[in-house]
Amino acid sequence: MHGPDIQWYVILSAILFTTGALGVMLRRNPLIILLSVEIMLNSANLLLIAFSRLHGREDGQVFAISVMAVAASEVVVGLGLIVAMGRRNVELDVDKLRTLRG
Amino acid sequence: MKIAAWICLLLPLASALAITIAGTRIPRRAAAYVSTLTTMGAFVAAVVAFFDMWSKAPHARAAATTSWTWLSAGQYHFGLTLLVDQLSIVMMLIVAGVGSLIIAYAVGYMDGEDEERRFFAYMSLFVFSMLLLVEGGNLLLLLAGWGMVGLSSYLLIGYYQERASAIAAAKKAFVMNAFGDATMALALFLLIKVTGRLDYAGVFAHSPHGGTTANLIALGLLGGALAKSAQLPLHTWLPDAMEGPTPVSALIHAATMVTAGVYLIVRTHVLFENAYIVQDLAAGLGAATLVMAGLIALVQTDIKRVIAYSTMSQIGYMFVGAGLGAYPNAMFHLMTHAFFKALLFLAAGIAIHAVTGEQDIRKLAGVGKLMPFTKIVFLIGSLALVGIFPFAGFFSKDSIIAAALAHGTYGAIIWVACIVGAFLTGVYAFRLYFIVFTGEPSAFAREHFHAHHDKEGPLSMLWTVGTLAVLALVGGFLQFAPVWHPLTDWLAPVAAPITDPSNTQEWITSGFALAVGLAGIGVAYVLYVARTVPVPKALPLFEKKFYWDELYDVLWYRTADAFSRMLGTVIEVPLVAGAISAMAGLAGASSRELSVAQSGLVRTYALFLAGGLAILTLVFLAAR
Repeated sequence: MHGPDIQWYVILSAILFTTGALGVMLRRNPLIILLSVEIMLNSANLLLIAFSRLHGREDGQVFAISVMAVAASEVVVGLGLIVAMGRRNVELDVDKLRTLRG
Repeated sequence: MKIAAWICLLLPLASALAITIAGTRIPRRAAAYVSTLTTMGAFVAAVVAFFDMWSKAPHARAAATTSWTWLSAGQYHFGLTLLVDQLSIVMMLIVAGVGSLIIAYAVGYMDGEDEERRFFAYMSLFVFSMLLLVEGGNLLLLLAGWGMVGLSSYLLIGYYQERASAIAAAKKAFVMNAFGDATMALALFLLIKVTGRLDYAGVFAHSPHGGTTANLIALGLLGGALAKSAQLPLHTWLPDAMEGPTPVSALIHAATMVTAGVYLIVRTHVLFENAYIVQDLAAGLGAATLVMAGLIALVQTDIKRVIAYSTMSQIGYMFVGAGLGAYPNAMFHLMTHAFFKALLFLAAGIAIHAVTGEQDIRKLAGVGKLMPFTKIVFLIGSLALVGIFPFAGFFSKDSIIAAALAHGTYGAIIWVACIVGAFLTGVYAFRLYFIVFTGEPSAFAREHFHAHHDKEGPLSMLWTVGTLAVLALVGGFLQFAPVWHPLTDWLAPVAAPITDPSNTQEWITSGFALAVGLAGIGVAYVLYVARTVPVPKALPLFEKKFYWDELYDVLWYRTADAFSRMLGTVIEVPLVAGAISAMAGLAGASSRELSVAQSGLVRTYALFLAGGLAILTLVFLAAR
């Protein structure tokens, strides 16, 4: 086994996930929120691949690839929405978009 | 013979289906001819089967044919079996024969109706159902036919569907018949439980003699027979059923369907003999019905209703015959009654048809002067009904009354009732005849009468009525018990009589019945022609039909209505409706409170999500 131990991967993944989560919760620009979501997804991918390597099995890597595919489609939809907002001159601030409140 | 029986059964069904499927693609007249020709074809098949049967030895005449197993339930299997024997062939000939005459009559009567196709499809359906009832080889098929004749009767009573009274009458007939169907079904359940089968021979061989079970079985069957044949206490639907077109009244509510109850008792006479109390009850109810219906018929003013009450009364005679065990006599009267009662209805139909559908005898008064042919055939029918020699009723009715004389004290009481009934028959039948067909035409009749191409009606109506008049004239000579009795001999292997009046009793009864019948005619003559004695005022008891409708109204409708209203105020409003509105209010209030949490801020949602996840993680860690 080469490289760092598994706990370093876990710690890095946790830092990345927390960064992403804080980004989603604190930022108001939808572009940044989308980026933060990507960071969270990739922290999960990192864990999948790390454990896949630890156990010497490939299914984790396969799963990581499918997560990427899903993430790509999600970005397409999200960016599409943001572009649509931009075209309609809607201010890019999620706190202003609260027509669904009860 | 078996093939002929199948053809006889299936031709009317084919006609009903063909007319229904063809719909508006065929002209209205075509439906009438299809229905007439197929019913005549069924009659020809029945005649072929009859001669085939005749050529065999008396005990080799019955034949059963099973096409396939119709119904299987566990260990019970019931075949689609036709049983053609001496009894069912008689019924087949009557149903298909009288049926084809009446449907041929309807070709003229219904000409110009908007929905002729529907009418003739229903008529064919009825003939099929009735043939299924009489040809069915087990009690289950009989019950199926029983229900289907009830259905076609319902459809045809309500034929004029734009008339509220016709719809009400149809519903009334259906409900009362459904009651009879239910008691019959219960009797069949008991039979299956006791004998494990429903074919006639097996049931007769294995059913118990005497005891509660036998009585209950016979009582259930009797309930069905009473409802179908409009006998006390399930009779109130028949007069209302006159809302249907006149050919329907003639075919279903006079000649065939209403006599099915008599056929049932004769067919299952073994079960009734095993429960002689119930059989005596049948005779008693028949006697009560025939007197009561005769009294009501005295004061009715609707020509068809008078004939309807006379039908109830005549079926009462048949019930007396079947109840006392004189089965051939009951079947004989069933046959002659089919002839002369169909004749009376159809002749009345010609008169009604010629006077723009009027049925009130006071308005029809004297119309006979304008239509001599109808007058003569109606006179023949009335004489046959009253039982004047040599018309059909004389032979058949008197033989039933004679059977009562040969049945001990109970029979003697019934004999008196029958003689009283014969007197009443003379009065009401000739009241009708004298008012409608003799004397000067009323202003109404003169104004509204219009001849059909200088004839009294379409040709199809005249020749069929003429044929029935001939049958009513000569049909009785088939059997004259003191001298010759081919029908009794013919039916002996299936339904041998258990009451056999002596020749003396026959002669005495015939003399009495003829005398009181003539006396009745004399009374009617004095009251309505000579008018030397004023007509007595009608008793309200008779005009109100012995208050049966009012009794049932109070007993069932008002009780159920009051009970439902009580349930409505006590249970429906506070409990059911209250509980539902309380639940709705609770859901509304709580969701209004909870909607505060829906701030619309996605970031808040994410925070709650993360916070919840953190708490869950802590909980799981602590729980470890």
